[in-house]
Formats: sequence, structure tokens, C-alpha cells
Amino acid sequence: MIEARESQDLNRLEDEAFRLHVRQWIEGNYPAELRNPPKRLHWDENKPWYFKLAEKGWLCPGWPREFGGLGLSPAKQIIFTEEIERHGCARTNDHGIVMVGPLLINHGTREQQQFFLPKILSGEHIWCQGYSEPNAGSDLAALRTEAVLDGDHYVVNGQKIWTTLAMDANWCFLLVRTDKNAKKQEGISFLLVDMTSPGITVKPIINLEYHDEFCEVFFDNVRVPAANLVGTPNRGWDMAKALLSFERIYLGSPRLSAYAFSRLKQLAERMGVWEDAVFQDTYAKLRLDLEDLKSLYGVFVDKVRRGETLGPDVSMLKVFQTELFQRITDTMLEICGENAGLLDPMEGNRNLNPTGLYIQARPSTIYGGSNEIQRNIISKNVLALPG
Amino acid sequence: MSEVLEERAESIRMIRDSAGAVAPRGGDSKRVRGLRFVAPGFDKRVFAQMGEFGWIGLAVEEAAGGAGLGMSEAIALTEELAGGLAPEPLIPAMLSARLLAGADDQALLGPLLAGQQVVLTAWQERADTLAAPGNADAPRVFIPQAGGADVFLLPVREGAGLALYAVPAAGADAILEKTMDGGYFGTLRADLARGKRIAADIGAVLDDALDEAALMTAGAMVGLMERAFDMTLSYLKTRQQFGRIIGTFQSLQHRAADLKIHLSLTRAAVEAAAAALDGGAAGDARKAAVSKAKARAGESGLMVLRQCIQLHGGIGYTDEYDVGLYLRRGMVIANQFGSAALHRRRFMALAPEDAE
Repeated sequence: MIEARESQDLNRLEDEAFRLHVRQWIEGNYPAELRNPPKRLHWDENKPWYFKLAEKGWLCPGWPREFGGLGLSPAKQIIFTEEIERHGCARTNDHGIVMVGPLLINHGTREQQQFFLPKILSGEHIWCQGYSEPNAGSDLAALRTEAVLDGDHYVVNGQKIWTTLAMDANWCFLLVRTDKNAKKQEGISFLLVDMTSPGITVKPIINLEYHDEFCEVFFDNVRVPAANLVGTPNRGWDMAKALLSFERIYLGSPRLSAYAFSRLKQLAERMGVWEDAVFQDTYAKLRLDLEDLKSLYGVFVDKVRRGETLGPDVSMLKVFQTELFQRITDTMLEICGENAGLLDPMEGNRNLNPTGLYIQARPSTIYGGSNEIQRNIISKNVLALPG
Repeated sequence: MSEVLEERAESIRMIRDSAGAVAPRGGDSKRVRGLRFVAPGFDKRVFAQMGEFGWIGLAVEEAAGGAGLGMSEAIALTEELAGGLAPEPLIPAMLSARLLAGADDQALLGPLLAGQQVVLTAWQERADTLAAPGNADAPRVFIPQAGGADVFLLPVREGAGLALYAVPAAGADAILEKTMDGGYFGTLRADLARGKRIAADIGAVLDDALDEAALMTAGAMVGLMERAFDMTLSYLKTRQQFGRIIGTFQSLQHRAADLKIHLSLTRAAVEAAAAALDGGAAGDARKAAVSKAKARAGESGLMVLRQCIQLHGGIGYTDEYDVGLYLRRGMVIANQFGSAALHRRRFMALAPEDAE
């Protein structure tokens, strides 16, 4: 129903030809100054890349072609992602692409699909994710932002937090409580909310990176058309959980650790400790950890490639990857000497900022389900330890 | 899955199933306990059975009388057997079979493949090495289960080549030392005059075979980890303290999750290395792949086995309870064919860094 702009079916290419095709196009089109950005970019900074992808028809590799995506097979999607990561491309404001699109394709009405999907593809709608709340973090199902039906509208009141790049977004997919009397997982619904609606206030939060990546979003009697509810009322939790499972393999990808590790070597040379035996021993252990992470990641990627659904054991990747990322940056700090206390020890060398990376590594064990929650998942759902 | 991959998966499944004949899943430790510290520390009839199953020649090419299978099958086999704590020196025998096939000595190879003769290779001259210098006079050390050998193979440096001698075990000067798991290490002072020179240069074959043995030993470590961890999980799910099943305590749950991660990392590393070797990796890439796996197995292996004792509490410290058998076997194989430190060093020396 929506014309796919990429005219050829890229699934027909051999894997290596496809990889080369993608690589060449990225190299020819990605803005050089945005490679490996030290911080999550705002819409103003990354929209040229978003539009390049959109124009090429490559914005949504996983969406079916009839919805304007590339309809890539799981195997081809992995190659596509690997090439994006290899080149150090910035993450775009991608919630519409990776969350809202699949949500509507699977659960949306025809009207919702026809209205929203083209506007994601054109960049007209930029989405943010309204999940966490001040009192519903790890325990997400405890969320209390409430939506009450009033005629053909829901009236929303409450507060969301850690909403990534909410200040850039003009739409929000929101988890709200629509039945206060049901069991906590059974009274939750999915609402699509126009961020320009009266009653919405967005307040940026300055994080330890001195960056305003996250926001608080307040809802004060915000009226949302009832037609913007996705799926069945009070059945939003299962859809929300299904969308989160995508995150876990993404967060387990070795790319962050691999990037930090490559910087560790540069830093060690610069600090004059590269030949030091104690450093070399630490470096060797980290390198083998990284190599084994790649092996384990490969096990899960092969499952995706075969079209299998990933189980809860994918949480292992997230835990090991994020903790390795932190250990690498811990080592960076250790070899920095007093430079560890400098805000910008490498004087504007954007490719080598150890203290910045150290800070960036901190939230990785918190977001996407804290590592403590991931360990709960492993112990309960993989090892079947009692509750 | 492609047809080739499916065939491979099927052959690995069959190997795993067949291992049950010697090391049944869910079997008890009676046989293993009975063999502890009773020379030669293993059962020659079971060794013969291993020959009948074709395991000793598993990785020997079919033309030489072997099964012509690869490392992916070999690690599945050593994993299963270690899971059942089988004390028979299968990995050393497989190493010898590779050398005899390389030397094209059918007279010795045939009975070894059939499990009728125990042939062990006395290649090692010091602790923690993968190098066989082949000094004729040097005592050969750490020969696993040497008391059960019928024949010893000795690599001996002769000019540019590493010759191979076969020396009968009967009448040889071999001293046995008890190992942590109830087996024996032998030290051999061989009299080459009593032996027979069977190959002029076995150096390249030995190099490859030692790497394969290191990888198979890493596979055995996966088997120890897996079974000890299973045992620990069962314990966490049944043992009660403070009126609750101890597996409900979050500190223990999180520790179990960490052990599972290490187990999965080790398995992934070992299976990736086996796939690399089966895919034809050669030279430095081959050695690096093996070292990556063995370093992980040595380090994560002992860590997991130690923690399994801790999670059991006092019962884990008794000889009567089986989990300790896994730690003691782990202590014997952790550094066999190279410690984690040796393999880390070798990996760093040989593996190319990713270009950035």
C-alpha cells in the first residue's frame, strides 16, 4: 500500500555482494563528521542521515515491503546492522522505525497503519517511548500514568521519565493504566499521543555526561482520541514486552565494547604503558573477553539468521557485553593517571576521550532492563530457579 | 539450516548419544569412585570399548582406519565423557593415533584404534608447555594414566627433524604420581635402545595434534562445568534453610546467572574454535582459535567448579558428595595442554588485531 522506494529486492543478492553494496553506499553517503559520535545525537544533528536513508528507501530494513520497508530477511538485516555499526554511524531518532512500526504492522488498525507509517518513513513523525515512570523503573508493570475514557477521547494524567530524546519527538507511544482494579500487568494499554497536544510538558534531564539525552514528560489532562489506542484495551503489556525483547540482542552486540577496546590501545600507547607487563596482562584478558563475547553473540545471531525466536537466555549477552564495556573503560581510567580527573584529557580529540567513555559506560548496566533484572530473568526463566 | 550443517548436527547428536554407553547421563559415580587410586586409574575394558565405538580414531582419516570426523564431533565426545568423569585416557590416545597415522605405522595404529593397546605419547619435558623439544635424555613428564600404557611414543630431535620412537611400556623406567582426581601422572626415563624408530619427522603432525588435544581438553572442561552446574542447580532447587528453598535467595540466583554466562561463553568459544579448525583454519589462525578456547576453559572452568562447591555449602566439601569430583578432575585438566596464562600469551602473539 505504500510504495517501496528501493526498487530491487536486495534479498536476491548473495550475502557478500549485499554486504559490499551496503558498505559502499554507507561510505559514500554517511556524513564523515558524524562517525562514532561521543554522544547520542539530537534530531537537528542526525536528520540529514535519517533523510538520506529515507530517500534511498533503506530507513526501515526490517519492515515488509508493502509497508515501505526493505523486507530484508533476518540474515540480511544482520549484515545491514553490522555494516552500520562497522562504519560507526550514529543512532538516529529510531523509535518510530524499530518500535512503533513493528507494533502497528503487527497490532495496528488499517487506518493507524495508513496514517502513521508513511509519516515515519518521511521523517514527519519523530517518536519517543513513554514507558518508565519515577515509581516504575525496573518494576515497569507498576506504572501509574492513567488514561480515562471520556466520550471518544482518553484523558491522560501522570508522569514519564527517562524518555530518550523526548524534546525532539512530536509523537509518543505511551503505556498507560486503563484499569486500576485489574492485576498490574492486566490493566495496561498502548496509546499513541501527539506531543503537541495541550497539557504535555517536556523537561530535559542533564545526565552525568552533561548531556540532555533523557527527559521527564508530564501529562496534565491530555486528551487523546480513543482511535489512537493500539490493539485491545488492557492488553498492552504483552505487546510492550515483545518490543523490549528486540532491545536485548541489540544491547548485547559487541560494538560498544569493541569500540572502547580499540580506544584502549590508542590510549595505552599515548600514555606510554603499552609495553608494560601489568597492562599487557589486563589487555590480553579484556581482548579474550571481547573475542568470546563475539563468539557468544554469533550463537544468537545464527538463531536470528535461521528465523528462530530468541529466548530469555539472550539476557546473558546484555550482562556480559555491558560489564565488559565498563571493565574496558575502568582500565582506561586506571592508566590515565591524574588525567582521569580532566573533563577533556585528550584536548578535543573526539576519537579518544577516555573520561567521556567511562561516564558513557555507566548507564549501560542500568538501561534496557538493569543487569540485576537481567540476572533475575536468567535465574527464573533460563535456570528455572524458584521465585 | 543447510543440508551440510544439518548432517553435521546429526553426527554430533549421534556421538553424544553413543557416549552414554560409557558415561550415561544421570548415571552414578560408582564406577569412577571404584577406580580412584587403584592403578592404573582407569578400566582397560572401557578403553577397549572406546576403541570399538571408533572414538580413538574419531579424528583420524578414514584411509588410515579412522572415522574421519572433525573437531566438532571430538569436543562433543570429550564433553560427554568428562560429564560422566570417565578416567580413561582418551584424549592422549587420540593424540597418539594422530601421530601413528602420520607415521603410517599400521602395526601400532591398528591395535590402538581397536582399543586393544594403550599407546601414550611422552612428549612433555616440563610443566605448562605445548612445545616438544625432543631431547633424547630428558625425562618425559606428566604422562596421563601412564601406568596403563602398553607402548610409549617419544618424539626425539634428530637434526632438523623430530623423529618418533615407540618404546614398550613393560620394563620401562616409569614413576607414577597420584593426581587430584584419583588417577596417575607418569614420569618416563626412556631407554631408546629398547625402542623402535618409526618416523623421521613427526614435528608438524605433533604440532597440530597437540592443538587438537588442547581443544578437546577444553571440550572436556565444558562437560565438567555443565554437569557440576546442573548438580548445583538441582541443589539450589531442593535445599531448604530459613524455611525456604535456598534457590529463592537473590544473591544465589544472581551468582547462578553469572555461572551460566561463563558456561555459555566457554561453550561458544570452544565450539567456535572447533568450527574454525573443521573449516580449515591453518597456521597462526588455527593456533589462535585453540588458544582462545583453552584460555577461556581454563579460567572460567575452574571458576565455575569452585563456585559450585561454594553454592553447595558444607556438603560440597565432603568427598562423599559428587560435586567435588568435578573440581578435582578440573584441577587436573585445567592446565593440561597449556594453562590459561600460556594460551593468553600465545593468543596475543598470534592473533591478528582487528583493523580499526
